[in-house]
Amino acid sequence: MSQLQEERKIILGNENVDSFDFDEVQDFVKDANEQLFISHHFATKNKMLVQPRGGFPTYEKQFALYDFFVKANVDVLPLTIDSNTRLNDYATAKKMLRLSEANEMDMLNGYPLVNHGYRTTRKMMTHFNLPVSLRHGTPDARLLTEIAIASGIFEIEGGPITYLLPYSKNFPLDKAFLYWKYVERVCADYSTLNKPINRESFGPLTATLVPPAITIVIQLLEMLLSLEEGVKSFSVSFSQQGSMIQDIVTGKVTRALADHYAKQIGCEDAHIHLVYHQWMGAFPTNRDSADQLINMSTVIASMVGADKIITKTREEAVGIPTKEANAQTVANTQYTLNILGGLPAITDEQEEEILTAEVHAIMEAVFNDPADSLWRKVFNSIKNGIIDVPFSPHIINHNNMITIRDSNKNIRIIDRGNVPIPDHCFEYEKSCCDLNKDTTSIVNDIIHDIGIMQ
Amino acid sequence: MKVVTGVIGNDIHVVANRLMDLSLNARGYEVFNLGVNTYLEEFFDAAVETGAEILLISSLNGEAEGWGREVKLLKAKYKSLDNLTMMIGGNLTVGSGNAEDIVPRFKNYGFDLVCHQVDLNTGLDMLEEYMRENKHS
Repeated sequence: MSQLQEERKIILGNENVDSFDFDEVQDFVKDANEQLFISHHFATKNKMLVQPRGGFPTYEKQFALYDFFVKANVDVLPLTIDSNTRLNDYATAKKMLRLSEANEMDMLNGYPLVNHGYRTTRKMMTHFNLPVSLRHGTPDARLLTEIAIASGIFEIEGGPITYLLPYSKNFPLDKAFLYWKYVERVCADYSTLNKPINRESFGPLTATLVPPAITIVIQLLEMLLSLEEGVKSFSVSFSQQGSMIQDIVTGKVTRALADHYAKQIGCEDAHIHLVYHQWMGAFPTNRDSADQLINMSTVIASMVGADKIITKTREEAVGIPTKEANAQTVANTQYTLNILGGLPAITDEQEEEILTAEVHAIMEAVFNDPADSLWRKVFNSIKNGIIDVPFSPHIINHNNMITIRDSNKNIRIIDRGNVPIPDHCFEYEKSCCDLNKDTTSIVNDIIHDIGIMQ
Repeated sequence: MKVVTGVIGNDIHVVANRLMDLSLNARGYEVFNLGVNTYLEEFFDAAVETGAEILLISSLNGEAEGWGREVKLLKAKYKSLDNLTMMIGGNLTVGSGNAEDIVPRFKNYGFDLVCHQVDLNTGLDMLEEYMRENKHS
């Protein structure tokens, strides 16, 4: 038995799993309807796929949510997981699920997939027969991924960097890399049986003034870590940044460099997709303004040429959105996509050159780390500040990079910390901003720049 | 002057914490930032370890109320913290509340300076003034 198979047996021997039948699950994936695979939709549908967010504790509520989404003409269903499961606390999730079922009150902020189990959940997934994306935020998603795939969920979001640096203060990063290696291998193995399982990285990170160079580098590295384990379908992503041209340039550079680096490790046969998140920062509390923001995000996603868009709702600033508000965004987004036509092909060549040079320089510094494997090189690069994510709460992150917006709302790096931004790029970034101010004024500018959409 | 700062409890709101770090540095303080998700013991331990003159605790999710009640009890267990200036700021209550009730309550918990929904720079101005007035006392 392979080492991976031995580890799988231990993971699936968890007391919260009701006898995992490896052979049955393998047969299920092998014979699963192609409509369940988002990789199939990417290959065959000639439109941007629309995917909302959403997860409820009980089976019935999740089913009702999907019903609403289907009526709104959804392309991809989400399954958002509750926060206890994200921290591998299945016992608390179980208790809260029972309370939610008994009291008709939601005691969890998502669907506790492990507790529901794959036999139950699979009924819902095969009933709707649409691709489902697993949304979680779990550093150790080994068990969750197993149960998801066994349920018919063939897209797994996340990664060792993007699910850790924005969410955790001290979960060990080196462990996260090893846990995600397991996830990649399981996805790769299942991908040989039918259409490929798609993996997606979480590009928004902290959604707080993260410069595109950092976003792209992390997208590329998670992509490489996934492809080197044998994954054949991968989505890189980013969220609306605040400037349309910066989004367009970011999309172009991301696509070009994803192909470049995939080819460099001999994985040009893998399919790479681009996903755009509607604004992920602080939302306006006014619901009508929120609708306008969402609509604008959809237009920009079209300019970017994204393969999939992930939506927000008009209730974003208020709390967990209702299924009605959620479905409304899906319908509105589909409408906007339908009526958009004659989009101009525009770019800014100087911005493209600068961003490309920045990404290459950081990637080169990562590859030059003397460690013997890619994950260790990446780990060391985060540890020594070559990769620095603004506003990450994690203790390993340096937090020395400082960014603000220029007068066109582009995010600019004004202090590069230990990130190897080439000198000419750094001079360009700074030249776009008014830096003849004291730190107090700059801090006030940062506060303003974060709340730009409110 | 040395300042220990951080966000109390299971609170992961990091943005203001980073801005506070930047602003304190700009004002010439030596900052020991414990970051988000920090327990009361960790704050006091850090104050002892660094010999800080100021402890600046922040809170956004409203957990401060629960923690505030333990401040005096816990601080009494540390021998060297009698001269520590204690400040707390952010959103100090769950739901709505007004500063007239909240400020005296937190002063009672053992804080010298209390800022409920006060702008960052206004709060830091208050701290500077307080330290000027009380430096030689």
